[in-house]
Amino acid sequence: MEEDNKTISWEKIEGKIRGVVLITDSHFVMKEKGKETLLAVEGEMVKLGFPIKYEEIKTMEFYPLSVRIASLLAIKKVCGFSEEKIREMGANAPKISLIIKLFLKYFSTLTMAAEKVSLLWSRHYTVGELRAKEVDEEKKVVILELGNFTGHPLFCQYLNGYFSMVVQLIIGKAVTSQETKCPFSGDSYHEFTVTW
Amino acid sequence: MANESEQEKKIGLLLSDLSSLEEYINDLFVFAPLPICFVSLGGMVFEANPAFEKLSNSILTDIIGTPITIFFKEKEIERLQQETIKSGAVEGREMLFSPKEKGKMAVQVFTRVRQDEEGRPVGYFLSLFDLTKIKQTEENISQTQRALLNILEDTEEARRLAEEEKDKTKTIIDNFTDGLLVFDVAERLISINAQGEKFFNVQSAGVNGKSLTELKEILAFLPLILVLGEKLKETFRQELVLKENLVLEVSAVPVLSYGEKTGYLVSLHDITREKLIERMKTEFVSIAAHQLRTPLSAIKWTLRMLLDGDLGELAPEQRDFIEKSYQSNERMIGLINDLLDVTRIEEGRYVFKKDYADIVSLVNSIVSNYLDEAKEKGIKLRFKSTAKNLPAVIIDAEKITLVIQNLIENSIKYTKPGGEIIVFLERRKEEIEISVRDTGVGIPLDQQGRVFSKFFRAANVMRMETEGSGLGLFIAKNIVEAHGGRIWFQSEEGKGSTFFFTIPAKKEFKQFLEGF
Repeated sequence: MEEDNKTISWEKIEGKIRGVVLITDSHFVMKEKGKETLLAVEGEMVKLGFPIKYEEIKTMEFYPLSVRIASLLAIKKVCGFSEEKIREMGANAPKISLIIKLFLKYFSTLTMAAEKVSLLWSRHYTVGELRAKEVDEEKKVVILELGNFTGHPLFCQYLNGYFSMVVQLIIGKAVTSQETKCPFSGDSYHEFTVTW
Repeated sequence: MANESEQEKKIGLLLSDLSSLEEYINDLFVFAPLPICFVSLGGMVFEANPAFEKLSNSILTDIIGTPITIFFKEKEIERLQQETIKSGAVEGREMLFSPKEKGKMAVQVFTRVRQDEEGRPVGYFLSLFDLTKIKQTEENISQTQRALLNILEDTEEARRLAEEEKDKTKTIIDNFTDGLLVFDVAERLISINAQGEKFFNVQSAGVNGKSLTELKEILAFLPLILVLGEKLKETFRQELVLKENLVLEVSAVPVLSYGEKTGYLVSLHDITREKLIERMKTEFVSIAAHQLRTPLSAIKWTLRMLLDGDLGELAPEQRDFIEKSYQSNERMIGLINDLLDVTRIEEGRYVFKKDYADIVSLVNSIVSNYLDEAKEKGIKLRFKSTAKNLPAVIIDAEKITLVIQNLIENSIKYTKPGGEIIVFLERRKEEIEISVRDTGVGIPLDQQGRVFSKFFRAANVMRMETEGSGLGLFIAKNIVEAHGGRIWFQSEEGKGSTFFFTIPAKKEFKQFLEGF
């Protein structure tokens, strides 16, 4: 996880993401650290080869997945965020994401939301497939499987927080979540288990 | 390839429109002044606008994912949700909203259900209208209303107390043994008590509201109006013979309220009995004096004959005894005469024979008569007149002589040897002022108010002088006042006294005739 940013082959990272993802990143940095830090993050992004201005990011526009990964790494470095903080950043994203708002109408029940989870992912990312592997309200568990997507270990933390918040919004209770399978641990897909 | 490029172009346009739409929705949502949130069927807040953030005193990320129950009473919000799902909307429900770290506030809640593509409810929009100011206004109005009601109650209580007090006062006034008449500032009779009705033999309803002039037309009131005058003024203990066997003492005082004159109170005190006793007393004194004067006169002439040697020569010792008896008898006759004068004054029978007189000569002659007596006592007696070309005044010279004699005699009696008595005569505008100033014992301050009363004798002179009836100044006062003059004095114990009296200097012939 402490991978040197210079060793990342950015060109090998395929796929695109919606601008909303980057907007939620900048929102969290602004809330936690303020405008100056966000400008510093943009400076770090330039160093990584991604000269972007967060203010100019369009919610529905597509951007390379590499920009999303670089954004996470730059934020972690400049803000000095721990993995837990990155996880918190992930949990913050659904609260302000416009795409999530578009899906709110499916968040009435877990079952209904589970049916739309694949669609929700595809609205954000052009690579990877997300599905609800298990939804059991009696056992109080939801298991999500993300296949055909590698990403970055830091992104795993981000997604862990993101999914836990989505489930929390639906069931209205505090949840715990962990990544139970990960390609970076030798698994063929990511698996996130949310319990409450 | 061309198709692919066209597709990408279309997607680009759609994305651009989507961004514009997002901005528009966002602007609208941010602008909305009413607090709005979206609540899931599970009761979680999924969305909130800045107005809701402000009202709830929370930031958006703290609000999202929060149960709506933290802002409302659980049962109330559950009932609202059920009604919203059932009816599609709820409008204007009054509820209590609990912002973060703030007290509860009254709000009006509006909800509208949101459905998915298949018409199933997925949550509801909830908007709030802050009733704080309205409630505050309502509370203020309510407080004002309560305050007004309290004031009304207080006023009613005060009115009741005032009514009670008025009834009490009316009862006291009605049962008062004196007659009471109250006149307003316009001098109209506004109240007469039962005793007043009895005195004048009238009913209040028949006389209330009448002016002094109108009351004068009622025969029973005429004597009272003559005493009070056509215009009400302060009057103190004026005697009023209302009818036979009914003598009243009339006093009139202004009624003041906060320093402002609001009318007059006239009190009528029945002094018939006192007058009867006084008359009987006067009659008794008169009879006794008359009865005493005859034998005293007989004694006087007998003693005179003895002293004149009509019954033979007297031995010096015999003469001395008879001389003393004669002097004592003379004093007794003087006292009897004084008593008779007093009874005449009180019965209104004191006759004045007024005529033109030269007052300067009169005073000078009286003073001259006392020069020897004063000299014998070692007292210097002088007469000083500053008046020149005085007109002749109309007086009863005999009575005025009595006044001046009384004042000079008093001064001689109460001035020690070596002292001085000066009789002044001065012209003062329309009157002549005569004064007798001595360096005598003076009158104690605490007794000065009774100097002109009958039988008054100051404590200090009673110790040094046994002679004197105490009637002289009473008679003098009556004589001076019968001439339209005034009498008064200044005195300091141990230093002396000055008695003054005036006589009007100008008298028209018509008035002179009226004196007869």
